[in-house]
Amino acid sequence: MMLVIYGLDSWLLKPPMKANKDTVSVITFKQKTFNVLYSIFAIFSCLALGKLCSYFAPILPGSLYGLIIFTLTLHFRLFNADRIKSSVMWCLKHMGVCFVPAGVGIINHFELIKQFGIAIVAITFVTTFLLLTVVGLHYQRYAVDDE
Amino acid sequence: MITELLNNHILSSIFAVVSTIALFQLTAVFQRKLNAIWLQPMLISILAIIAILLWQDISFESYFSSSWLLNALLEPAVVALGFPLYQHLETITKQWKSIILVLLFGAFIAIVSSFVITMLLIGDYSIAVALSLKSVTTPIAIAIAGQLDGNTAITAFAIILAGFFGALVGPPWLRFIKVKSPKAQGLAIGAASHAIGTATVSNISYEHAAYSSLALIVSAVITALLSPFIINFLATLF
Repeated sequence: MMLVIYGLDSWLLKPPMKANKDTVSVITFKQKTFNVLYSIFAIFSCLALGKLCSYFAPILPGSLYGLIIFTLTLHFRLFNADRIKSSVMWCLKHMGVCFVPAGVGIINHFELIKQFGIAIVAITFVTTFLLLTVVGLHYQRYAVDDE
Repeated sequence: MITELLNNHILSSIFAVVSTIALFQLTAVFQRKLNAIWLQPMLISILAIIAILLWQDISFESYFSSSWLLNALLEPAVVALGFPLYQHLETITKQWKSIILVLLFGAFIAIVSSFVITMLLIGDYSIAVALSLKSVTTPIAIAIAGQLDGNTAITAFAIILAGFFGALVGPPWLRFIKVKSPKAQGLAIGAASHAIGTATVSNISYEHAAYSSLALIVSAVITALLSPFIINFLATLF
């Protein structure tokens, strides 16, 4: 629901799309409405399929199966990527707000944090840096070898 | 006044969601205007909401149940990350081997280092399991932590911490150690800081978003498959 409201809101406020060589230069209000609904349908049907997958093969959670299915359906052109693009880009730009309620959950673990807080923070900090460094440096080296 | 409002479920839902979004957008505007990276909208809105909840004596449960709408959007948001992945699928399939190799190595280092350091410093198995899963996206990490008798509350906490560290200091740190290609940066941040990192670097460039979401998925799968073996083996050493 929120996506619908947001979608409507975003293209009501935005100036009309710039002309693009590859796509139709004028996109009507009706088409925009259709594209937003189409994107919502695409995302939620992939999510539903993903949930089904995780029910039968509980290796990954449903949303990750959904991500993989969404990528594949776009790749095999079961969904039209041009119709989906603008709404999905908008979602990606604003998805951070969805993590806020989960993040506020930290206040429920004050006791544990008092006891081991500093050690946990320090270990997380150090190992996150280690991981960033290892993956970043290694990939850069391999990528240079690839090209 | 806020407490009265929270008694009505529909009103409180609207209030919680609207004020969370408003806070987030306000911080985002400030961040853009002042050009300050540390004004991370997610972090600032979380801190502000914690302060408000403590000040008005509102329980986390009532805030959480009021903001269910935002939480319900987490899953479709994860699915939407498939789009940047689709756009870079061609380049990614070309470098398939090197990406898997790097992420496999990364996941191995992450699990082993976190587990060993935690066992040496704190000496608690359930916390060690929790911390060794902190770089994985929340739903997967919680599932594995439960399976391996880890502490799920600490897992959730450490995941958020790792997400913020990577999202906030990741890009400047990577630039500092001369990892400049957007691909390498995206991959590193996706592997270390899962969805929070991915959501943050998605603003930098599209390539960042694609490689970050790729790393998020691949390293989640790798960790889900690897961690039971590594942790069971390491647990016998301590």
